[in-house]
Amino acid sequence: MKYVIMIHSNPRPWGHPTSDFLPEHQALPAEQRERLNADFEAMLDELSASGELLGGEALADAADARLYRWETGRPVVTDGPYSEAREHLAGFFLVDVASRQRAEELAAVFSGPGETVELRATMHPGADEQ
Amino acid sequence: MTVAELADVWRQESAHVLGALLRRHGDLADCEDAAQEALEAAARQWPQEGRPDSPRGWLVRVASRRLVDQVRADRSRTAREQREAGARPADAWTVPAADTGSGASTDDPLELLLLCCHPALSRTSQVALTLRAVSGLGTAEVARAFLVPEATMAQRLSRARATLRSAGARFGRPGPDELPARVAAVLDVLHVVFTEGSTRSSGAVLVDAALTTEAVRLTRRLRALLPDHDEVAGALALMLITAARHAARADERGDLVPLEEQDRSRWDAALTAEGVQILEQVLPRGHLGRYQLQAAIAAVHAEAASAADTDWRQILLLYAHLEQLAPAPAVTLNRAVAAGMALGPEHGLALLATVADDPALRRHHRFFAVRAHLRERAGDVDGALADYRQAGRLTASLPEQRYLNARAGRLAARRSAPTPR
Repeated sequence: MKYVIMIHSNPRPWGHPTSDFLPEHQALPAEQRERLNADFEAMLDELSASGELLGGEALADAADARLYRWETGRPVVTDGPYSEAREHLAGFFLVDVASRQRAEELAAVFSGPGETVELRATMHPGADEQ
Repeated sequence: MTVAELADVWRQESAHVLGALLRRHGDLADCEDAAQEALEAAARQWPQEGRPDSPRGWLVRVASRRLVDQVRADRSRTAREQREAGARPADAWTVPAADTGSGASTDDPLELLLLCCHPALSRTSQVALTLRAVSGLGTAEVARAFLVPEATMAQRLSRARATLRSAGARFGRPGPDELPARVAAVLDVLHVVFTEGSTRSSGAVLVDAALTTEAVRLTRRLRALLPDHDEVAGALALMLITAARHAARADERGDLVPLEEQDRSRWDAALTAEGVQILEQVLPRGHLGRYQLQAAIAAVHAEAASAADTDWRQILLLYAHLEQLAPAPAVTLNRAVAAGMALGPEHGLALLATVADDPALRRHHRFFAVRAHLRERAGDVDGALADYRQAGRLTASLPEQRYLNARAGRLAARRSAPTPR
């Protein structure tokens, strides 16, 4: 089962890993910060080694986005970001795992203070087993 | 000797070649490498020199020479590394050529299947390794079958081999106390390969015939090796009767056609007959298992001339058996469908009400899809509409979602249109 793990964040300045640029993360005791980072790195290594990680990208600054909205029969182009929300899509990971439970466990490790992780299943072209 | 002919030979022989190598040298990764090199040598030499009289003997001979070379190279490297660490007996690494010796059981791919379905591996790894090592599929082909990048599949396969190594998994036949559970795992893996083939689709092809054919081929071989194992027979019968329906499962757009709407004249009568015949041999022996029961259910469907002629009481009985033997949410849902058909929709709905709070079902699209059908037949249009919509939201299958949304759309239109009478 494939899932997308999306990181909605607002690093200031925009940068990756986002946790390095989030005040909420910086406010944590150094020891806890290091442990979170180490857990995250260990999980990424594990996901690559197990063949569960299919890919992912870190995204450039949302302020640099270009938006294309359809108005009176043609696209009208403006500068981003897409929404007025505080957080923007900062990056995503595509994983292929054995179960929803496993996906939920992973998403929890991706989460951290000051940002929101969104887990979404992907649609597949096959039928479901009856 | 064409490429296609060589591929056929490889499909037939790869498991035997690998088995012969593993009998002398236990490391799966080393043996796969050597077998792969022999295949490459065959691709170079056979077109020029002609196909050897015994392709299997040739492949085993060349592969075991490569394996000996490989192990010698490892040995001299390791010897250098170990000179400081202390000596090791000089013959500890010697591998006899795999084509010497009796080779009495080299025709038997069972041990290779058992190794690939070792309990230390996850089900996904068991499936991938079986297709790679037993079926002789290339890593790229296995990756395509599971819709993942080739590098990802290569990673999964090497992780699986490393897991076997660290678990101390040995090539060979397990003891009689262990064998039944190990064979059960092999059957589950072959069934997964079959259902992957049956339910995966790309574009207009709803059935990946390569996977279903391979699952049937391996299960046939397993049955030849274990003729008294009634669940092997049951799994084979289930695959044959299910495969018989494949041509009718998709319409010209590639969309799923539900069982009751399928054109039964397109079912493959020969496959059905073979599956039913196998079942008739084993069912009277009374060692019922879940594959035999599922096959029996498929057989009842297959024997109905039309959907309306289906013996739903018989199916309901079989699902009740199955639920006792192997309880699972999907079985309960199917029993509710059967109860709805055999006794009336209110009976199916009553059964569903008993499992509505099950956490595995609350988010499961099939629960809502089944309830929607039952509510529609019971005349509860609003309830059915809500359930079709919820099922459509929950499914991750595109054809399933199209089907559910269409049902919901039809129902909504019927509700808002003035009744003709």
